[in-house]
Amino acid sequence: MILRKRGVLGFLILLVAVLAFAAAGCGGDDDGGSSGDGGGGGGGGSVEALPSASCGPIRQGSEEPQALIASDLPLQGSNRSLTTEMADAIEFVLEQHEWKAGDTVLGYQSCDDSTAQAGSWDSAKCSSNARAYANNESVIGLVGTFNSGCAKLVIPVLNRAPGGSVAMVSPANTYPGLTEGGPGTETGEPDNYYPTGKRNYTRVVWNDQFQGAANATYADELGLKKIFVLNDSETYGQGIANLFVKYAEKLGIEILGNQKWDKKATSYESLASRIKSSGADAVFLGGIVCNNGGKLIKDIKAGAPDVQLLGPDGWTPISATIEGAGASANDMYITQPGIPVDQLTGAGKEFTDGFTEKAGKAPNPYTAYAAQAVEVLIAAIEKGGTDRAAVSAALFETDITDGIIGDFQIDENGDTTLGKVSIYQIKAGEETFVKNVTPELDFIEG
Amino acid sequence: MATQARRLPLPTLAGRLPGYVMPAVAFLLVALLVVWLGVNLYKTPSEFYGLFLIGLTNGAIYGLVALGYSLVYGILELINFAHGDVFMLGGMLVATMVASFGLAGDSGVFLWAMILLMLVIVMAFCAVINTTIELVAYRRLRHAPRLAPLITAIGMSFILQNIGLVWKGARPTSVDSILPRGEVFSIGGVAYTWDKLIVLLFTVPVLVVLVLLVQRTRQGKAMRATAQDRDASAMMGINVNRTISFTFFIAGALAGAAGLLYALYITNIRYDEGFRLGLIAFTAAVVGGIGNLPGAVLGGLLIAMIESFNNGLGWATPGSDWTQSIIFGLLITILVFRPEGLLGEQTPEGG
Amino acid sequence: MNIPLLPAERRAEFDAGLRHRAIRGGIAVVAGIVLVTIFSGFTVSLIVAALVALALYAVPWDLLRFGRFVVPAAAIILAILYPYYRDDLFQIPLFGVFPSTDTAVTMTIFIMMAIGLNIVVGYAGLLDLGYVAFYAMGAYTAAWFATPHFSEYGTHHIGSVGVSPESPGFHVSIWLVVLMAGLFTAIVGVIIGLPTLRLRGDYLAIVTLGFGEIMPQIARNGDDLFGTGFNLTNGAQGINPIDPPGFGNAISDLTGLPSDYLTFNADFLGKELGNIEVFYWTALGLLLFTVFCSVRLRDSRLGRAWVAIREDETAAAAMGVPLMRTKTWAYAAGAFFGGIAGAYYASFKGAVFPDDFFFNISVFILCMVILGGMGNVWGVIVGGGFLAYLNQEGLGNIGAEINETFGTNIDVPLYQFGIFGAILVLVMLFKPEGLIPSARRKAEFEEGVSDEPLYDVQR
Repeated sequence: MILRKRGVLGFLILLVAVLAFAAAGCGGDDDGGSSGDGGGGGGGGSVEALPSASCGPIRQGSEEPQALIASDLPLQGSNRSLTTEMADAIEFVLEQHEWKAGDTVLGYQSCDDSTAQAGSWDSAKCSSNARAYANNESVIGLVGTFNSGCAKLVIPVLNRAPGGSVAMVSPANTYPGLTEGGPGTETGEPDNYYPTGKRNYTRVVWNDQFQGAANATYADELGLKKIFVLNDSETYGQGIANLFVKYAEKLGIEILGNQKWDKKATSYESLASRIKSSGADAVFLGGIVCNNGGKLIKDIKAGAPDVQLLGPDGWTPISATIEGAGASANDMYITQPGIPVDQLTGAGKEFTDGFTEKAGKAPNPYTAYAAQAVEVLIAAIEKGGTDRAAVSAALFETDITDGIIGDFQIDENGDTTLGKVSIYQIKAGEETFVKNVTPELDFIEG
Repeated sequence: MATQARRLPLPTLAGRLPGYVMPAVAFLLVALLVVWLGVNLYKTPSEFYGLFLIGLTNGAIYGLVALGYSLVYGILELINFAHGDVFMLGGMLVATMVASFGLAGDSGVFLWAMILLMLVIVMAFCAVINTTIELVAYRRLRHAPRLAPLITAIGMSFILQNIGLVWKGARPTSVDSILPRGEVFSIGGVAYTWDKLIVLLFTVPVLVVLVLLVQRTRQGKAMRATAQDRDASAMMGINVNRTISFTFFIAGALAGAAGLLYALYITNIRYDEGFRLGLIAFTAAVVGGIGNLPGAVLGGLLIAMIESFNNGLGWATPGSDWTQSIIFGLLITILVFRPEGLLGEQTPEGG
Repeated sequence: MNIPLLPAERRAEFDAGLRHRAIRGGIAVVAGIVLVTIFSGFTVSLIVAALVALALYAVPWDLLRFGRFVVPAAAIILAILYPYYRDDLFQIPLFGVFPSTDTAVTMTIFIMMAIGLNIVVGYAGLLDLGYVAFYAMGAYTAAWFATPHFSEYGTHHIGSVGVSPESPGFHVSIWLVVLMAGLFTAIVGVIIGLPTLRLRGDYLAIVTLGFGEIMPQIARNGDDLFGTGFNLTNGAQGINPIDPPGFGNAISDLTGLPSDYLTFNADFLGKELGNIEVFYWTALGLLLFTVFCSVRLRDSRLGRAWVAIREDETAAAAMGVPLMRTKTWAYAAGAFFGGIAGAYYASFKGAVFPDDFFFNISVFILCMVILGGMGNVWGVIVGGGFLAYLNQEGLGNIGAEINETFGTNIDVPLYQFGIFGAILVLVMLFKPEGLIPSARRKAEFEEGVSDEPLYDVQR
């Protein structure tokens, strides 16, 4: 029918117009301010900035950057001050290198994988950030992530990236399964994270197996026989609590229970009563201080005053624990991978002094890791240039002497060869260093 | 509001089964509960007493918050989600005041004077906030479908939570401990400390005063009349708007008092505390019978006891992992099988 | 001019409408062009976009014979072609760039959930505050049937892609998984609904809230369910990796469709396509399916039954509408779409963690429904899309723009709670029927409904 044909014709015209518009968009050059994903200031010429919704502006030196490195940290929520300090440390180190790694001029963007709503890392944001890094050809390295759960999402995406696996160095992931199998991991790990079969992920902290073992060894040293374990039912907390249980039982310590504490509960007095009635001499708190840790410590000490409290590095920064729990935190032992910032020597001391001068206060131990992580990445970029696969491969040849946190190499799994764990105790509202413990490898693996 | 319309009685699940089933099941459940408590009491008596006391104290605080919910629901049939967050803001104010007045080391008459002063301040603060919320958010929606003020309440709750988040940050704030912690007496090795007693000493008079207010005074009569039939009360010469504002004022003051007690006793306040506690308090109000004031406190005590025993007892206990699910499960069960609560409802439709 | 498909008697109406809207639209368009040019510079795309928008708005399409389809069809075509022209679009003042295709996938998925909730809240008038439970259920279904999680039950592959055939556990094709998730979630929705739907509105809200809180706790404690040692959800560690969608090698060789989304790389119509574009188009397809179902449901007998119980339960019951069954169907339908969206989102992200599911998400989706207009599918799409964009990218962009322009250091995403709360309050106070209301809803809010439930708690 004529009418119908004309109606269809009108329709087709509209369709063609839209298609033409789209095709015109594809073919021609980009217009002024709308190239790529837009956002950040600084260089618009040779590097493509990461989206400003998640990432800050490009930080760079005097020259235009040829490649980008990014950091993926939770900038919202309770860790905010720590992670912003880590980002500043990365910038500091790059400044020391004059923003160059070999011949490559670098730019740096600090990206956020958390949302205010969640108050911590958000899985949707982690995976979309990962895709942004993978699809942005200018990105040749990533310092991150902070949380192991986020890393589980990011590593496979970066591994499969179109231009080659993107090199990744974490300053803080401690979940063992990301790099190796063994105690505390699940079936299929770590190969699940490397679909191409080649590794691209390394870390400068050692995994929770070391911390769990160190805690267990020290507990044994202190003569504690019956320990009650609590965890905050999150990835990190549950993981390290389970590892502690494993190693403690190996040493003959009796574990009286492994219960979760609800971070949203009003009070933990009843839990403390339970602990008291179980007859425990110590409680291991596997979790992080932001999950209502302060109140937990207060109540446990009120209900069971004679127990010894032990905690992993989730209770750092120790000042947060002291602030949250007040006087009840006294005598608690807290472990941290690595050696205390004031005991660093050589390059570490230089970094600490330089950064303290710039920032006005002493850096947190994790800040030193972030600085070390970016140093490792810079060294790899020096070897590999701007080729992603080459940089990733170069990561595994890392051999650092007089690095910020000491001398170490990266083994074929991506783990570091350092294994020292330092133990602190809170005395009269201040953190005091107790000693360093290096657990034996065969104790850990066996 | 058509309160006179006859309404069909609820065709509960109970109504469809033979008559002996429901009482038998209830009896069985209660028997199991008694057995569980009894065995634990026998095995660990001192822990039992301790947990009982913990539950009693927490229950008093939950009850105070639940009273506010109950009052507002009774008069407007509105679940005021923002109520818990008003309580949270009160707690934060107390935390700020304790820190800035530097009360940490004080004791004696000065301390008590300061506490009373803080009580007055925080009650006024929360009452004003609550009344403002009603004026701004709920008054216009009095004749809208029920969904509307409920959604507005959620919105206000979010706004207040954000204020708390910006005020004190994402991490829980620790309040200096200023209540005396000495022993009042001790049973079987378990000490009953002064701070627990103080909580009870606050709550009981408040409840009594409130009941007297509602039953004996003119304003109370106006409140009850408005709750029963708004249009008829207006015709009788009661200023409905003022009465409702007054109710919100009282509810806000209750939330403020609860906030003070919470901050001083628990010594810990978080920006999302209000939401969580609000849910618990609402559960308590429903368990006791919504609109029923003593019921709200009873509900609060019950829930706190459940929490306490579940976390603390050792024999055949689900454990702290499941506390939240148990409480909500209780809520759902009560709503499905006995919606008028344990002590019976007192809303326009019922009681 | 003889406009085809326009009956003569409608001519005058058409002209009047055209003139009226053309003036209004013209002014808005010119203002828009000026605004954008001032803040972001002039681009060709701005003019073209303005012209297209004007054409779609100004002409009263519904008066033409097949005109009802023009706007939706244009919208669908524009959506499909989005990855092609997105990079050339102008920058919106204050909001920055248009959302990336990645964000668009998340937006689409959340819009799907909003349409599902719209069936429960908008069509049937039941306030559901626990929608996140359905999302979680769908996600975990994908996690059970497309990962190595249940390795101890052997190796079962049904159309799996992206994993080696020796990989243990259940690996079912994502298309089947999505369907299974929808059905399973619907069944759970019915089970939840049966005892609780007889409660009146505010109690129902609290009960659904309760379920919304219980579900994540079960997910978190699920590694040792009730002490039996059965690992249902792997607890806080989450379940990963989840297989990607794909069509398998056979179909891929035949038609060129991607065999495995994650390794897809092709060139089509002048643009290099990667995995994100195919995820986007699939999400769009699922969204279209959801919208189609929703519209059909609305116009069906069931849909009318929902309207009836929403407006006056007593009258509806008197007219023979089976109350409980109708409400349960609403629940089941809403749950179905929530499950589908959840399963697809899990496959997109590649993992599922119990921390992904918290109460605020339920409120967020509710916010989308309310802002858009309860009961109106198009309103929900627009409102939902806008809010999902704000959540993912928008607030961050706004923050970056404000900080850049004024040199401040305000962390806009920190105020996310408050902003969404304020949206809820403002919309409810001033425009409760939403941005794009249905006429009926508008009348309901203005004239009021007979809101008393038929069954009540009285003894």
